[in-house]
Amino acid sequence: MRRFLVLPTSRAGWGLFIAFVALVLAGIWPVIGWVNRATLVMGLPLLVVWSYVIMFACVAVMLVGNRIVERDDHE
Amino acid sequence: MSSAWPLVITLLYVATAMLIGLRARAGRSMNSLEEWGVAGRSMGPVTLYLLIAAGSVSAYTFMGAPGWAYSKGVAVFYVAIYLAYLALVAWYFGPKVWQFGEQFGHVTQASAIADRYQSPALGALSALVMAVGSVAYAVLQTIGSAYILFVMSGGQIPVWLGVLLVLACIAVYLYASGQRAIGRTNAFQGVLMLVVAWAVGLWAIHSATGGLSFAGVFERIAAEHPEFLTLPGAGGDMSFSFWTTSIIVSMFSFMPPVWTQWMSASSARTIRRSATWLPTYYVVILPMVVVGFIGIFSLPELARADTVVLEYAMQHLPVVLVGLLGAGTLAASMSSSEPFIHSVSLSVSKDVLQPLLKLSEGTTAKLARLLILPIMFLVIAPLAIAEPGSLVMILLVGLGFASQVLPAFIGMFLWPRASRLGVMAGIF
Repeated sequence: MRRFLVLPTSRAGWGLFIAFVALVLAGIWPVIGWVNRATLVMGLPLLVVWSYVIMFACVAVMLVGNRIVERDDHE
Repeated sequence: MSSAWPLVITLLYVATAMLIGLRARAGRSMNSLEEWGVAGRSMGPVTLYLLIAAGSVSAYTFMGAPGWAYSKGVAVFYVAIYLAYLALVAWYFGPKVWQFGEQFGHVTQASAIADRYQSPALGALSALVMAVGSVAYAVLQTIGSAYILFVMSGGQIPVWLGVLLVLACIAVYLYASGQRAIGRTNAFQGVLMLVVAWAVGLWAIHSATGGLSFAGVFERIAAEHPEFLTLPGAGGDMSFSFWTTSIIVSMFSFMPPVWTQWMSASSARTIRRSATWLPTYYVVILPMVVVGFIGIFSLPELARADTVVLEYAMQHLPVVLVGLLGAGTLAASMSSSEPFIHSVSLSVSKDVLQPLLKLSEGTTAKLARLLILPIMFLVIAPLAIAEPGSLVMILLVGLGFASQVLPAFIGMFLWPRASRLGVMAGIF
């Protein structure tokens, strides 16, 4: 019988899945409401800094993902 | 503007792009869908990185985004976040699309949908729905291109002529070299945009504050207009729901050119490596948006927010930099419009006309190349010359249309039990 949803099958896969979901949640409401303040960090608005933190966190998570995929030879 | 330099530099860019696009063919025959459509699945990680990056940075980054910063504030940074999320989407889905496409010889998104659901009708329907969204996007970019030529020529090149000039340039190299032209020109345009954005941004900051730090700009905004630094922005209309829905709708808009870009990769690993570094390219947004913030106190009476960078550049920057800004903005709009024109032609030929008219592969390939001409000159040109509405709203309408096909992709990758009828119901 076919599965209902395609889900990760390893612990590393679940870890990546959770990291992806966390990244997405970090960029939308309600999290974005917590950084929605008119303060400057390193000369930039907090919301702008947060946006770039998310962008570079995406790079970091994908780098880890590459190691996992290539180690497990999922090509 | 009295100097001819900005127009000369902008036209020099157009000529260079055309030359690169034409040479991209390198003697290959373009009479197969695999070659003209997906460059024979040959692109390496660096070309793919610049292809996807330049394709996703459009005239919006050089005009619309600074305009939003000028009129609304930091709400514009939803773009930076959704572009980073698009890289995550490419990292996860791209290799699967590539493997599926390579195994079954797909060159279009709609062909993959037709195969997954065993329904050419669903493939054709998806192709048509996506074509509407893609044409909206190409119109938007063409308007941006024509406007740049209008400004850089001091009004000597009217919008209608600018539209025809830009489309004719794209038509020549797109017909000749297909996806290879898009790959090479986007690589050139991607580097040009990055250099121009930072050169213009830093020069503007220096002319506005006397230094090179962003802090000077934002400290003044914080003191005089703090409402620009938070949601819902200066106009009070950029709510959390706008921010959240715009990001989610945009990140799940699997536009056809993105699919074509993935299938142009030399391997699944290539896509993953390119996607990993893609968010680093989006530092290109920051300096342009900062010029929009500078406009808040330097150009308070601007009639049209979209023109803030150009107006500021023409008043405060040297003519050579104004010309480079024209070239960079034109690069942004052309690098985004050509993949959409290409994918509409490819998909309508392959997924609508081939099954309908029972055409051979060879005839379909020739038709795809020729179809760019009516798409450009009978659909995109008249719509662009008519100059409809706000640039950002057109972009969101295009992305909204594209997201209608989302149920098909969920069924392809995440939900094995999704059915043809379910997907059709989702689209309607």
